[in-house]
Amino acid sequence: MTVNTIYFTILTFSFRNIMTIFRRSAYSKYNTLSGSELVPSVSLLVPAFNEELTVIENVKCLLTLNYPTYEVIVINDGSSDNTLEVLREEFGLEPLPNPEMRNSIDCQPIRAVYHNPQYPHLFVIDKPNGGKADSLNAGINLSHYPLISSIDADSLLEKDALIRMARMYMENPEETVAIGGDVRIANGCLIENGAVKEVSLPRKMWPMFQAVEYLKAFLGGRIGWSAINGLIIVSGAFGMFRKDYVIAVGGYRGGYPGEDMNIIIKLHRYMLENKLKYRVAFCPEAVCWTQAPDSYRILSNQRKRWGRGNLKNMIENYDMAFNPKYRVMGLLTMPYNIIFEALNPYFKITGLLALVGYTLLDMTNWKILVVFGLINILSGYLLSIGALFLEELAFKRFTKVSDLARLLLFSALKFFGYAQLGGLWRIQGHIQYLRNNNSWGTMTRTSWKEESKAAKTA
Amino acid sequence: MPNTAALQTEIEQSNLYVTIIQKVKESAHEANGVLFIYSVNAPSYLESQISGILESQPGVTFAMWSGHQPGSIAVLLPGQTLDTVHFQGLLLKQRIQEINGDLELHMALSSFPEQGELNEQLLKQMEESAKLSPAGDIHIFTKEEFQPSQTRILIVEGDATVREFLQIRLQMQGYETAVTDNGISALELIESWNPDLVLTELNLYGIDGLPYIHHIQQLNVKTVPKIVVLTEQRVEQTISLCFKSGIDDYITKPFSPVELDARIRRCIH
Repeated sequence: MTVNTIYFTILTFSFRNIMTIFRRSAYSKYNTLSGSELVPSVSLLVPAFNEELTVIENVKCLLTLNYPTYEVIVINDGSSDNTLEVLREEFGLEPLPNPEMRNSIDCQPIRAVYHNPQYPHLFVIDKPNGGKADSLNAGINLSHYPLISSIDADSLLEKDALIRMARMYMENPEETVAIGGDVRIANGCLIENGAVKEVSLPRKMWPMFQAVEYLKAFLGGRIGWSAINGLIIVSGAFGMFRKDYVIAVGGYRGGYPGEDMNIIIKLHRYMLENKLKYRVAFCPEAVCWTQAPDSYRILSNQRKRWGRGNLKNMIENYDMAFNPKYRVMGLLTMPYNIIFEALNPYFKITGLLALVGYTLLDMTNWKILVVFGLINILSGYLLSIGALFLEELAFKRFTKVSDLARLLLFSALKFFGYAQLGGLWRIQGHIQYLRNNNSWGTMTRTSWKEESKAAKTA
Repeated sequence: MPNTAALQTEIEQSNLYVTIIQKVKESAHEANGVLFIYSVNAPSYLESQISGILESQPGVTFAMWSGHQPGSIAVLLPGQTLDTVHFQGLLLKQRIQEINGDLELHMALSSFPEQGELNEQLLKQMEESAKLSPAGDIHIFTKEEFQPSQTRILIVEGDATVREFLQIRLQMQGYETAVTDNGISALELIESWNPDLVLTELNLYGIDGLPYIHHIQQLNVKTVPKIVVLTEQRVEQTISLCFKSGIDDYITKPFSPVELDARIRRCIH
């Protein structure tokens, strides 16, 4: 019950904010900004590990953003496939004789930096395998600009995404330390020339559930959290940071998944401990499309990894929870995350056990039980609908009525099976953490071309 | 009322040019003056005033139609050469202004076949030019102006509104145009369609701006097209890199259409 109350509070914040965002997107002109010399330059960091299928398409997409000055730094994290070779061939890259690498953050020594003067804004770093965090750190060391933005190699940015984010940054450049973007599921969309041409929902079951989930998490949750400056995570798929502060907190932490949440917690901690005014913002207009895992095995791997990373971050930073020194972060965000996110499945299980016990002892009042269950499901459903309503209010990306109907249907179906699976995966992740199993797990990719072929034939 | 001075307002709009061409062909005269008059907020009696003025002169025969746009009037003056049509134009302008005070007339005139072969495209160009010319000005079309300009311009622009605007504007100036919205198909079009000039945005789907400029110059075509960049990108470094890779001009948005015309003309001649 408490969980739902908190969710509703957060959603209310989201709603309060969305009207501002809506007006903002209606009135501000990105075009005039997108060519201006005054927009701060950004280094896009793209860690790539075994991405030979999608990397070319993604880099091409990233090179055609609407943005005045930026560079794209692809970090080949010791891929065992031909990621580096396809990049070199496509863009005619040659190793730079003496790359200027600053050593502001510790990272593994790199092998080489590749560049082609014909593509002045593209750099490729080749380094031995060291994980995503280490790749990002290497990218930071090479980056030439004051802002950095981490982007997953399996994601496509909308042409305006970066300039929208920068605009939000420029509203308050002193205090903004990080901005998160909205991540959406690209499965099912029609992709052409590295851009999403037609938005539609995934056809398979697993991506569909995730689409509903992401919509709720990003629009219903993150907008609200950012309104009270209690955002605990900026998605690793698309976020923008101030480089000086990222360096100040020591860059990304290696060795564990959940580096995206970790860096934000560290930023919160650093800014609060040094009593600096700051803001971690969320920019829902900046959209990044990502490929969602479409099979049970890969999805469960991903979720176990998230569970593990989340637990690790919570354990590392437990001192922040309930500590008034850390304001919203310490009093609200951290406790919320520990109790309702990390420990959520255990509550569910104990509740279930208690229920079984009561039933066995014949102490249950069925009427009350059913009422409770219904209230629970209804309020959860209302939350999803709220997020969907936000989406339609401000962005209107899903135009087909059938898509809306499917979103509503899957929001309801989610409560029977998918939500429980989510809890199971989280527990499995925790078990992995306790057993010190620290593998990243496999992620398979489909080439974007095949994705959109499938979208066309459908 | 003389037979020839029929005021044919109800004539089918699309047939106007065809009718004029037909009349010129039928006429026994060696020269046939054509005059387009355009005025903003034209009073309804303007046409009758004009016909009154023309009728008052002995020996002048004419036919008159409403033009395609509101406020536009087409007049055919059989038997008149370029200089006599010009005289009629000046006379009309003066008389009308005497009667109506501040009413401004825009005119375009010529004589056929003295100044060239008459066709629909030409008449359209004249009517447009009457509308676009400064108030009080008389645009005289001579042989040189009618030289069919074969200049082909490829417009590459992602924004549909700007694209349409550019296409209409350049077409009205007699250029042959083709449009596309992304870099990949632009490269294909340059190879297959052979434009003389490419007017392009830098921020395109499909391909990054600088490599794209470079690609154009590497294409397997007889003559590499002139490249004029029209973009929102205003970063000095990018501009200088573009010039370094051999573009002919760089215009930033928001742009002045008149300046754009001038720059395009300079690139072509």
